Amino acid sequence: MSYQIKLEKFEGPLDLLLFLIKENEIDIYDIPIALITKQYLEYIELMQTLDLEMAGEFILMAAILIQIKVQTLLPSPSVAAEEIEDPRTELVKRLVEYQKFKEASSALSSFEEEQRKIFPRAFFDATVRDSEGDLEGEFTLFDMISVFHEALKNVPPPLSPHSVKKVDVTVDQRMAYIIGFMKDRDRCAFSELIAGEARKLVLIVTFLAILELMKRGQIVVRQRKLYSDFWIQRR
Amino acid sequence: MTAMDGKDDLKPIIEALIFVSDVPLSEAKLKEIVGNGLDGPQIRSCVAALNDEYRKEGRSFEIIRVAQGYQMVTRKEYGDWASRLYKGRSRTRLSRAALETVAIIAYRQPIIRVGIEAIRGVGVDGVLATLLERNLIRIAGRQPGLGRPLLYATSREFLRYFGLDRIEDLPTLKEVVRPDASQ
Repeated sequence: MSYQIKLEKFEGPLDLLLFLIKENEIDIYDIPIALITKQYLEYIELMQTLDLEMAGEFILMAAILIQIKVQTLLPSPSVAAEEIEDPRTELVKRLVEYQKFKEASSALSSFEEEQRKIFPRAFFDATVRDSEGDLEGEFTLFDMISVFHEALKNVPPPLSPHSVKKVDVTVDQRMAYIIGFMKDRDRCAFSELIAGEARKLVLIVTFLAILELMKRGQIVVRQRKLYSDFWIQRR
Repeated sequence: MTAMDGKDDLKPIIEALIFVSDVPLSEAKLKEIVGNGLDGPQIRSCVAALNDEYRKEGRSFEIIRVAQGYQMVTRKEYGDWASRLYKGRSRTRLSRAALETVAIIAYRQPIIRVGIEAIRGVGVDGVLATLLERNLIRIAGRQPGLGRPLLYATSREFLRYFGLDRIEDLPTLKEVVRPDASQ
């Protein structure tokens, strides 16, 4: 039988199996393992022929399918037939579980589509930089790193000819600097701390010093959503 | 702040606050700002009255309830126009891999990476990075035990992005029904 294969992108072996089950109009709880294994392997072969990038998970699943097939073919030992667990059970459980989330994700996709049609009243004026008011918003290490990345981008390229100078800076020094900087105030912005600093190493060490101070519980870091900056607050 | 006796005084104040807020404005925040024993039912009836007015006057916007707050948004009919204004600035849709992964996190949170991979049957490293970058998920701590792996959960932005008020508003997971599962 020549099997018509549509070249869809599958999210993984489970996705491909669900596709085959649907195509063949098979009951997911009673998969004809020989048929599905055959079609699955055909598909894998085609992917290889087309030189599509294939994740190792696809091969692993092929092995699982073959193993199940072998188990169903082998005569069962002395135990009564009903007592042997169907070798497909585990796979079916995984497929059913995956199917649930696949459907949930298509629901989310339609929510996403609906939301793209509505536009919130937003406040884009990023020039206001009051350091008053509450700082809020979930602020993760990831956000901090992206702010840090921005700061690194602003570092001017080295003047040619390239010269190597030893920059003497330690995390301890920068920690002392930050604490000193904040002596008379409760909070300061990351951008203030690094203002005018063109040496990349100093930026990096300053960032590490902030992380260290956070770890020691001496400061907390907050962000106001609008700004690509963050606030450092004394505890 | 001036005394407010009836809804008529309250309504424009609530409208103003929702209007200037760039994030969904929570009832708690409204109560905190307005004071005077403002309660949930009052807020809700004001918002409903405002939406009624907007509808009657044929306004292009409305107040919706999202991510545990109120937000003023354009009506869907005007989405096309608004998107022309933001041409080139609109964010790309999530990939299928990202949608599946965030769905698993949403229903099973907090969950570790291996847990997500067990369900999807593929690695999710790159997808998690994308979701973190887009603020749709957050790291919710570490699971005690071997290796103390990171736990992932959805963020407030997740609710906003998908237009949900609370995480409980997600549709219930549907299982494939077994045809002979009558007994």
